[in-house]
Amino acid sequence: MLNWEELQESSFLESNARERAKGLVDKGSFVELLNPRDRFHSPHLPVLGEAIALDDGIVVGIGKIGIRPVFVISQEGRFIGGSLGEVSGAKMAYTIKLGLETLERIKEKYPESWEERRPTVVISFETGGVRLHEANAGLLAHAEVMDIIQDARKKIPIISLIGSKLGCFGGMGFVAAATDVIIMSEFGRLGLTGPEVIEQEMGKDEFDASNRAMVYRTTGGRHKYILGDSNYLVQDKINAFREKIQEVVHLPFDQIEQYRRIGSLQNVLQQMELINEALEINPNDAIDVWGFYGNENPETLLDLSFDQFMQKAVRREIR
Amino acid sequence: MRNDTDVVWDSLKRDTEQRIQSGKAFIQSGKLVDAKDTIALLETIIKPGDKVNLEGNNQKQADFLAESLCKVDPKIIHDLHMVQSVLALDSHLDLFEKGIAKKVDFSFSGPQANRLAKYVQEGKVQIGAIHTYLELFGRYFVDLTPRISMVAAYQADKQGNLYTGFNTEDTPVIVEATKFKQGIVIAQVNEIVDKLPRVDIPAEWVDFVIKAPKPFYVEPLFTRDPALITDSQILRGMMALKGIYAEYGVQRINHGIGFDTAAIELLLPTYGEELGLKGKICSYFVLNPHPTLIPAIETGWVKSVHSFGGELGMEDYVAARSDIFFIGPDGTMRSNRAFGQTAGHYALDMFIGGTLQIDQYGNSSTATASRVTGFGGAPNMGADAKGRRHSTDSWLKCGNEYTMNHQLVGDIPRGKRLVVQLQETFREKRAPGFIEKLDAWKLAENAGLEIPPVMIYSDDLTHIVSEVGIAYLNRCADMEERKAAIRAVAGYTELGLLADPKETRKLRQKGIVKTPEDLGIDVSRANRSLLAAKNMKEIVEWSKGLYNPPNRYRNW
Amino acid sequence: MALHEINYQLLIENPKKIRKEWAHIGVVGSGDLEVLMERKDLNGAVQVKVVTPVTGFDFIWNRVLESFITENQLGDLLIEINDNNATPIVVSIRLAQALAEANRVEEEEI
Repeated sequence: MLNWEELQESSFLESNARERAKGLVDKGSFVELLNPRDRFHSPHLPVLGEAIALDDGIVVGIGKIGIRPVFVISQEGRFIGGSLGEVSGAKMAYTIKLGLETLERIKEKYPESWEERRPTVVISFETGGVRLHEANAGLLAHAEVMDIIQDARKKIPIISLIGSKLGCFGGMGFVAAATDVIIMSEFGRLGLTGPEVIEQEMGKDEFDASNRAMVYRTTGGRHKYILGDSNYLVQDKINAFREKIQEVVHLPFDQIEQYRRIGSLQNVLQQMELINEALEINPNDAIDVWGFYGNENPETLLDLSFDQFMQKAVRREIR
Repeated sequence: MRNDTDVVWDSLKRDTEQRIQSGKAFIQSGKLVDAKDTIALLETIIKPGDKVNLEGNNQKQADFLAESLCKVDPKIIHDLHMVQSVLALDSHLDLFEKGIAKKVDFSFSGPQANRLAKYVQEGKVQIGAIHTYLELFGRYFVDLTPRISMVAAYQADKQGNLYTGFNTEDTPVIVEATKFKQGIVIAQVNEIVDKLPRVDIPAEWVDFVIKAPKPFYVEPLFTRDPALITDSQILRGMMALKGIYAEYGVQRINHGIGFDTAAIELLLPTYGEELGLKGKICSYFVLNPHPTLIPAIETGWVKSVHSFGGELGMEDYVAARSDIFFIGPDGTMRSNRAFGQTAGHYALDMFIGGTLQIDQYGNSSTATASRVTGFGGAPNMGADAKGRRHSTDSWLKCGNEYTMNHQLVGDIPRGKRLVVQLQETFREKRAPGFIEKLDAWKLAENAGLEIPPVMIYSDDLTHIVSEVGIAYLNRCADMEERKAAIRAVAGYTELGLLADPKETRKLRQKGIVKTPEDLGIDVSRANRSLLAAKNMKEIVEWSKGLYNPPNRYRNW
Repeated sequence: MALHEINYQLLIENPKKIRKEWAHIGVVGSGDLEVLMERKDLNGAVQVKVVTPVTGFDFIWNRVLESFITENQLGDLLIEINDNNATPIVVSIRLAQALAEANRVEEEEI
């Protein structure tokens, strides 16, 4: 594996789950829990004759950013589409839980300074959601993760990172939406129903999944950033994500709460306002939406470089 | 003895005049025919048994005219003899299904390969022969001259001049062969304009112009997304660069269509630079405008590229690099397949590309038992040009090493084109890339072909690069040694398992087989971090925003 | 239908141990595999376990492993592979990468 310095300059999109996990926290600080040597793989896949992975397609562990412990969960899209099964689900859920337990222990040990040592959870999503081979266990794991995210509410921040090839779809799209902060790159995609499924259900005229440019315009980082679904858009580099995490963990905790998409009356009203706007725009394409929020010649945003896009893009104002 | 005055020497001309005269009923003004009258026009001017050309290749397609021809009444028009580059569209084979056409002479049928094989077996299609592009173009001027040709252009003016622009491709050769033998030319165009950027085909050679309801289809066939390049392709690329490009100092090159050569293009600015090869290799290409070549062009590796055809999305980039590409006075590229193929056949020092199967002798084919794929232009590049008389260093070096040649020409120095196949020992689903007998034999039997379709014959093939090693077949003394060298790089395929380790060691000592280790290549370095661009976005950035990838290749 | 397991063992002369205690590389994607290498006292032998959905290619696996172990003179080593339809070349590349990782001098050591 590349060393930490090399990882910083690496493309987040190109990297695998373990490389991302190692590179997202301070140099030399990442310790993997249930690493490949522990051979904690799915008990269900062998019975079905399906290939297994020693980490069940998810890398979890602890690292540090400054003096804060950071609990990292990093999904591997190349193993069965990053799908969540019983083992990978448990690894995800219990890593967040570990973060919560750590918070309690830090409070005990540092009654004065615990806030500056507040743990953070970082989830790098690369998934289409539930693993169909172990569907019930996978769905339960989704529920369990949702539940623990609620427990973590107002205690420790949970930050979602979306910048990998598969994006974040299916049940995991809900999970990402339920976290506090979402950071995306322009290669990241966020949604519930995957493009192929939409095409299958609604027809090619409604949504042509082979038109990748359109799929990315509708679900990709640039669109989600303009819409406010993603709080931040960063370059496709591991250090760009790491630096943004660093920035976020230092924010006052009240402010992090402001970034949420769901979980308060105010959030609900905002979402309803968005529906009203959608009715008003009646868009044929994401570009219509960008125009509505004040982007002149919105189609030109598509091919701007990252820096130019960040300068020019006008985002939906969230009241 | 007949009286001289009875002999008619211009029957074709008279017949054509008659046909055009009856077609004039559909002309609105000048040469323009409304799209809705197309079928009626075709029914008027085409006659049963005509040789008909529908323009199309692996890039642009006269798709509207092809679909219209499918809709003519088979009672009026039948038994056509199609002479055309490709069978690519559904409509190309619908013609046979409906009984409008009966026989075909063609070059390439990739997308319709299965259906074509089936129709041949069912007796719906008679294949005259399968050609290379240049060979078929040649026959247009001998015994396969089209009576009617239907071509595609971007624009026409009111007089009927055509602008074929970036995707000129086969149009000039088809029109010239047809018109100068008194045939009829029909063009579908995307738009009618007052003034063309330049005239690619003069109006005098065009009889009817139809503005098609939709722009003609162009397939971005040569666009390879770097995100899909694998480590093993990168390994073969590294081996080829070090063991062949550098070894022979190859300057004039054509790359095949696959991911292996895309990997090589993207390794030039990184691994190639590391090996200090800039300026020593890859200065001249006969090649379509491959997006993956952009990083090498931008870093100054490439002096010149002549293209067989255009590549969707590359228009602006190519136009802005007139030192490299062939750009008209109007500022846009003109591709001309016949010239590209000629350049590729005579003026190159190397062809390098992938294939489906290589047999124990070194013959290769992309046909399988149930697919008539055809050849396209590859064999013109993947063959020694017997008429070549100029010498270059790499050509001469390869020829000097070609031991078997001395048995044929004695002590006269004669060079040889490097014809290199990049071959993974196993493809997807463990289909072997090396095989004792080609599936092409079975196809020949199934489809009633006279000979098994061979893409590159063994006597033209000089090198094989598999992940196991490079076989320098040109250095083999005889067929036995050649077969041993092929077995030595065939890995764990059944053919490869026949290799005798002792013999392989001997071949390695003689420099006839070189493994990555022999080449000084660290296999663990073969990974995607070596690629100058890892995704389409990075290619766009290399192009300074000039490359505009088609929708299906965008991931942002 | 269950997963197929191949066990392979080889003892060569003058084997070398890997430098690190263990190393892991690769992702079990389609056509790919992961390799875990662990240093273990096996009286100089190398023990390999391959888990794969593919049957009928044990012979090729054995040949690939044999040449890898012999060429690199490996011993006292446990190799565990989870495969998902990788071709022999991909197996060879991943084994080479895992070995490079297992013998790498970590920056902390310098």
